[in-house]
Amino acid sequence: MRLFLGQRAWMLQRATAVVLLIFLAAAAAMLLAGPRLSYERWHALATSPHGAVLIVVLFAALALHGWIGIRDIVLDYIHPPAGRLLLLGLIALVLIAIVIRVALTMAAHFTTAG
Amino acid sequence: MSADGEEEDMRISIYRFNPETDAKPRMQDYDVTPEAGDKKLLDALMRLKTVDDSLSFRRSCREGVCGSDAMNINGRNGLACLTSLAGLKEPVVLRPLPGFPVIRDLIVDMTQFFAHYHAIKPYLINDELAPEHERLQTPQERDRLNGLYECILCACCSAFCPSYWWNPDKFVGPAGLLQAYRFISDSRDTATAERLAYLDDVYRLYRCRTIMNCTEVCPKGLSPSHAIERIRLALVRESS
Repeated sequence: MRLFLGQRAWMLQRATAVVLLIFLAAAAAMLLAGPRLSYERWHALATSPHGAVLIVVLFAALALHGWIGIRDIVLDYIHPPAGRLLLLGLIALVLIAIVIRVALTMAAHFTTAG
Repeated sequence: MSADGEEEDMRISIYRFNPETDAKPRMQDYDVTPEAGDKKLLDALMRLKTVDDSLSFRRSCREGVCGSDAMNINGRNGLACLTSLAGLKEPVVLRPLPGFPVIRDLIVDMTQFFAHYHAIKPYLINDELAPEHERLQTPQERDRLNGLYECILCACCSAFCPSYWWNPDKFVGPAGLLQAYRFISDSRDTATAERLAYLDDVYRLYRCRTIMNCTEVCPKGLSPSHAIERIRLALVRESS
């Protein structure tokens, strides 16, 4: 739990921000250079092992970054403990579900292909 | 003052609340005629006090050293004694420091603010054997305290910080954190690790969102947000 409190959370938020920034820069570079983006190109990226892992990492970083940011807002504005617990639980559930869904979708390419 | 040197009335609208007689606060308008020597807002308030002695506000040194007359002036926290009458938009709207419990009129309860200040242990901690004379510092070590030791604890910064408004009981606030960094950065203090450990908390330090209202509003021109950033970096160094 200490990982998500105080200084660790602050570091994690910055580390995930750097990851997201790198992905954004890479995506921008891809859009600007190379052949025109198409469904086939996205599909090829998502079904390549590197691409699939990168996409899962991106969503995991996004979820962690979002978790710390949203948690901060909840800590600021929602003061009753029960309401806070409920809201934080819901948000955590949604974020975890998103990452699991992305991971499963990515993995599905390889299980069906292999 | 008009161009020909004649004094003109000034309209000041002041937040009035007496918990013993009033059900709720109200704004009261006053017209005051500043005299030749009246240069600052506090001068006008003192003149008003001679007309209406029920008007309550704190003041002491009248030169920006004691930090007593902090208030919200036209929507911005500041010291009445450092705010020039010239250039103030009329009516001048005076309210107590936002987010603080009001005791009466412009007087707020600063108990919680000072509780945070005491909690950061605002004194040198050094259990080593005292030298024969004073503990010496290099000029560079002394320079690190500049921009920190000047804080007069007027609370203009903390009372202008949204994070402090939302969690005044748990967030130390910009004033307390500036004071904490003053002792963290002191070469003579040996309790840096304990001080940092106290602040490494999701509420005490990390409620700060770098909104920087504190730095924007400090009547002494200090930068609590810079001090907070230095504490965060010290914590990173400490943990690595």
